[in-house]
Amino acid sequence: MQDTITSVINPADEKGTYLEGGELDKLKQYFQTGTLRVKAAEQIGSSAASIISDTVAKSLLYGDITLPGGNMYPTRRYAACLRDLTYFLRYATYAMLAADASILDERVLNGLKDTYSSLGVPVERTVQAVQAMKEVVTQRVGAEAGQEMDVYLDHIVNGLS
Amino acid sequence: MSIVAKVIAQSDRAERFLSGAELTQLQDFFNGGTTRISAAQKLAANQQKIVDEGSKRFWAQCPNTPSNSGDPQKTSLCQRDQGWYIRLVSYCVLAGNSKPLEDIGLDGMRDMYVSLRVPLPNLKLAMRCLKEVAMGLLSSEEAALAGPYFDQLVRAF
Repeated sequence: MQDTITSVINPADEKGTYLEGGELDKLKQYFQTGTLRVKAAEQIGSSAASIISDTVAKSLLYGDITLPGGNMYPTRRYAACLRDLTYFLRYATYAMLAADASILDERVLNGLKDTYSSLGVPVERTVQAVQAMKEVVTQRVGAEAGQEMDVYLDHIVNGLS
Repeated sequence: MSIVAKVIAQSDRAERFLSGAELTQLQDFFNGGTTRISAAQKLAANQQKIVDEGSKRFWAQCPNTPSNSGDPQKTSLCQRDQGWYIRLVSYCVLAGNSKPLEDIGLDGMRDMYVSLRVPLPNLKLAMRCLKEVAMGLLSSEEAALAGPYFDQLVRAF
């Protein structure tokens, strides 16, 4: 995977140059936001299950999707939905820490759309759930870190749509 | 690869969020950010000086070596390589991880220098001299961050 640090080091090495000017500024900014990122990752990691419960309650529950014939019925598929939402949250948190979306592409989004379409998972409802996750996460971590998480959760939305 | 990518890969393999210890490790890394940047800037600004001064010290202890053989091309190529290693150390300081040095400059390094007929023990001494000069130019905080990568470089030879 790539992270924001390697994303500036690798091209500099290709040219045989030190990091300078804009590249160092980019790292400086990243280092300065480090505490915000670490704190958010801590909050998200320690309450992931509850974030997922709230997300599902906000977006998916009490609709056709959990009834017989719906894609979250029977319980096996309900659990699979929880598992996938937890993946989204975990990988978005990794990407937020790295300040780089590439891990989402590599580990989550690559082939996901095809997999979902072959399994009959409704993309529209998945997107609704991720949108709800953005709100729930922001409530937990605050506006500033929430904005940063939005970047990567939106990346998932874009990858699905 | 940076320390950030490393702990993420570690967590991903275990399919979990980052552990408390990993988060602390990252927090420490970010706390040193300003020092990391100033150390990397000093290494960049002083590369030539470190190489020139390091070579003097090296030749004083080891006069019979390709870079001191009177062939200007050999001298300039050896010194160019030494400059590259200083650059790789600066990458490591910024990445908080020795992978840039290992992946770019150490993997295959022995085979290359053996084939070039550059004696490894001489290079080891040369690298030690680079370290000495570089450490003298950095603050103690900066030196504490860069020193271990220079040590790893010396050990690799």
